[in-house]
Amino acid sequence: MYNSLTNRRSFIKKMARLSAMAAAASMFPGILFASEQEDGIPKGANLDWKKGPCRFCGVGCGILVGTENGKAIAVKGDPNSSVNKGLLCVKGYHQTMCIQSKDRLTHALVKKNGTYVKTPISEALDIVANKMKDTIATHGKDSVAMYTSGQSTIPEGYVASKFMKGAIGTNNLDCNARLCMASAVAGFLTSFGADEPMGCYEDIDHADYFITWGNNMAEMHPVLFSRILEQKSRRGSKVIDFATRTTRSSTASDRSILFEPQTDLALGNAICYEIVNNGWVNKSFIEKHCNFSKGLTKMGYGMEDKYKFKDKPEKIDFDQYKAFLEDYTPEKVAKYSKVSVKDIKYLASIYGDPNKKVMSLWCMGVNQHTRGTWMNNIIYNIHLLTGKISEPGNSPFSLTGQPSACGTAREVGTFTHKLPKGVVTNPKHRELAAKIWKVPVEKIPSKPTYHTTEMFRAVDRGDIKFIWTQAVNPLVSLPKTSRYRPAMKKESCFVVVSDVFPTPTSDVADVILPASWHIEKSGLYGNSERRTQHWDKMVEGPGDTTPDAWMFIEVAKRMGYGDLFPYSKENHVEEIYNEYRQFHEGKKHGMAPLEVLKKESGAIWPYVDGKSTQWRFNAKYDPACSNGKDFHFYGKPDGKAVIWQRPYEPAAESPDSEYPFWLNTGRVIEHWHTGSMTRRIPVLHKAMPHAYVEFHPEDAKALSIRNGEKIKVTSRRGSCILPASINERGLPTKGQVFVPFFDENMMINDTTLDAFCPISKEPDFKKCAVKVEKA
Amino acid sequence: MKKRLGIISLFVLLFITFITIWNFSYQVGLEEGYIPIENVESHTNIPSESGVFERAEFALEYANMPIDENHQRTLSAYYNNRAYYGAPPSIPHPIKDEKSLGGNTCLQCHQNGGFVKQFDAYAPVTPHPEMINCRQCHVAQNSNTLFKPTNLAKVHAPKVGINNALIGTPPMIPHQIQMRENCLSCHAGPAAPKEIRVTHPERINCRQCHVPTDRVVSEITPFTRTNSNDNE
Amino acid sequence: MPIKSYLAHPHDNKKVELLTALSALEECEVMPATNEDVLVLVTDTLDDASEELLKAKIEKIKSLKLLAMVSGFNSPQNQQ
Repeated sequence: MYNSLTNRRSFIKKMARLSAMAAAASMFPGILFASEQEDGIPKGANLDWKKGPCRFCGVGCGILVGTENGKAIAVKGDPNSSVNKGLLCVKGYHQTMCIQSKDRLTHALVKKNGTYVKTPISEALDIVANKMKDTIATHGKDSVAMYTSGQSTIPEGYVASKFMKGAIGTNNLDCNARLCMASAVAGFLTSFGADEPMGCYEDIDHADYFITWGNNMAEMHPVLFSRILEQKSRRGSKVIDFATRTTRSSTASDRSILFEPQTDLALGNAICYEIVNNGWVNKSFIEKHCNFSKGLTKMGYGMEDKYKFKDKPEKIDFDQYKAFLEDYTPEKVAKYSKVSVKDIKYLASIYGDPNKKVMSLWCMGVNQHTRGTWMNNIIYNIHLLTGKISEPGNSPFSLTGQPSACGTAREVGTFTHKLPKGVVTNPKHRELAAKIWKVPVEKIPSKPTYHTTEMFRAVDRGDIKFIWTQAVNPLVSLPKTSRYRPAMKKESCFVVVSDVFPTPTSDVADVILPASWHIEKSGLYGNSERRTQHWDKMVEGPGDTTPDAWMFIEVAKRMGYGDLFPYSKENHVEEIYNEYRQFHEGKKHGMAPLEVLKKESGAIWPYVDGKSTQWRFNAKYDPACSNGKDFHFYGKPDGKAVIWQRPYEPAAESPDSEYPFWLNTGRVIEHWHTGSMTRRIPVLHKAMPHAYVEFHPEDAKALSIRNGEKIKVTSRRGSCILPASINERGLPTKGQVFVPFFDENMMINDTTLDAFCPISKEPDFKKCAVKVEKA
Repeated sequence: MKKRLGIISLFVLLFITFITIWNFSYQVGLEEGYIPIENVESHTNIPSESGVFERAEFALEYANMPIDENHQRTLSAYYNNRAYYGAPPSIPHPIKDEKSLGGNTCLQCHQNGGFVKQFDAYAPVTPHPEMINCRQCHVAQNSNTLFKPTNLAKVHAPKVGINNALIGTPPMIPHQIQMRENCLSCHAGPAAPKEIRVTHPERINCRQCHVPTDRVVSEITPFTRTNSNDNE
Repeated sequence: MPIKSYLAHPHDNKKVELLTALSALEECEVMPATNEDVLVLVTDTLDDASEELLKAKIEKIKSLKLLAMVSGFNSPQNQQ
């Protein structure tokens, strides 16, 4: 009786629900409900669905992984995730297929007399710990280094930082986010004094204009781009692609404006010039909330070893800034940027129109730039001058490349100068870290040591005798690998590589540690919109594979630091996260408790009183604002954001008669970074089996190069042979060639230049000079 | 006299001012109007990429269009109208103007589609309306008999529902992209074969999730590492 | 035991607030649309009196702009 009654009730409820959904559908054609999307998934298979974030890019889509008999057999978008609302991209849908790859690293491998010997994991960890201990004993603690990743989970990054900085006492810790987000961080810190975007993805639902700066979102942030396209077709929002290469994104945009590499600095200033000289400045906003500053110029490019630079900020006033902009009239800039005066004025008029909400989006084009910090500053200048910031739809939005570049690299701080809260140079920040880590404060060194490029230079020089890399493939992703590959092979440095698959980096390792993949361990990631997402282990990894965090802990224990790492094997992720949360307590950066993250598809920090803060610095949304005004840029001591005077300076290397082409490198939708995962997914490999060198059709014609022909690309540093691609996936401007860097069989980074932004130390992978010839 | 002189000098003054101002603004105008000469591109930009978005403006309409179940095409009817899988479809109806090479005669119905009462069917939309010599590839079927019998066997066309790699993942593209860049023309709207009609035309950026499964000209071998450092 | 379904329209940009507020009520089952600003609400109460009470509670929610009833079921024979 009870049964039939509840059945009847649930039937009536279902009917009631369906009739309401039908009514909604008649009012809003095309309306979607999460439960309907879940129904659309084929049944039959007895699947157990578990939630988590996607393994790949910084968008941080929610995924549901279907497992059956302990194997992951299906992936779908999480309809409850506000990031992607049930949609994924081709990489996301097929991600779990890589774990079954036949050449998976399942056991530890130790190099003995030139060959790799399968070794039990505990023995391999003994070797690593002993080697590390011996090296420290003979050469000092600054002779060991660790290089991690924006793909490390939050607990992994946290343990790495505590191990290196708290236990061993060296700042020799950096990560590959240095190659991707460092300029964004430096931009945020110089302009606002607080890292990470003030807005969130919901800005997309409010903006009237989307201006993408050197950013091929259709391929690199496809799910966010689909949200933009939806606004374009539903609300008529406009998309303007502002770049050096015609891409899929350009063809989907309302307008594509191409500029000459490196002139974005001048173009940004020209937009500011127009804003200032047409009276589009939001005067009350800049009076109340902005300061003006200038820094050093002609900083160099860091191409020499042990290059040092420290900026000297100096306050200026509005009139000085205005005078500075005189050099950047649209007419002057048009001459060398190859953008017409009309187009510059058009862009400026969009930013200048007080009735239009504008979202600027950028990623590697702006960050991987020898003046990347400046370029970030300039985009913020535009938004600050017009007051278009920190409110729904008005948003300068710095996108990230890696799934936890924000969560791990930037928030936990796996950089040489960083601590989980603040920087090593600040005694207060060191004290806090020492207190939570329970180590004496003197243990944490106060001076930053090596940033990524310099770290591998130190390996080459023999200063670093031991390096441990985790979730990262530097011998494909570093600039100028032609120098750093021989460096890593040198006998002087002992190399430990933790990874899931063999890579060119593991090829030079002395010990290879088999890591668990994404869903074979629990963890947390943090995406571009400050959203922290948790997942539980879903399947068992093969063989001896072990979560990276646990390998760090095991080595730390073997080295005698067991007291500092009192975590349990089963529950270490939870214990570490709870310890880490203490660093960020407060209204400015509070992290959501784990119970919330387990239940919901992520939460945005600052998480205050059970609520995500979607727009920071705006008193309407951000409880941390305390100055009584509409906006409070509380990252800076006086609560004011900084508008920076940043000039145009040429690139580190420009085309000349010997090397007449610009070389630009980047990615494709099918492959993630160095392809170690995606190339082992048959669907993705078949769609994009190898790299290529893209030509402008007129350049190809002049050199009589045919599509598919083998071409040798040579720079002052090295060369690489690839098939030509003419008018296929993308179209570089004339005088430029483009190569995606995912292909370890065609190493384009052998030719790139290790010049970097002196402030952020992020290398420029987008500009160097090459020559091309038929191979 | 004085008055007249005054008036004349006033006009002369005005005239000079006018000339100066006009000259100045003309010069400024010249300067502002300076636009580097943009070369007219002699090629279409990345056709395989841009084609996807060509019919995007109709995406929402496609999404809201009711399904006319009485006049749906089936995939087998679609393949029957082709000599083999991948061949250009033939023209299954009388030709309006025998002298025309195609162009507007065909595009009238086949550029945007629509119901044709005469044939009791929806006109299929061409994915390549810019190629106007239609009858270079598409020919009419004016006879049902053969000159001589043939042994030609039809190759098997890709089937529906088997092109996804995992349960529930988006199907891959089992056909060549060239000249078929514009996905919505065949996969959306009332003339689309019902088996391959997309449920979500409003997504627009099709190849975000659907990628080609194979290169047309050569077999793709599994990923092999050739640049292993041991070889150096 | 009345079961009723409604379309709940939130004030501009208040969809999330409305969702949380409604989900907090025990008798309510909420389904937000993923691409429009509207929620489907199904209420399930024991009797008419508690139904009235719930209605009053719902109408007090600030983020709610409009509540439109779509269907209602009541089966008195099931009241036990």
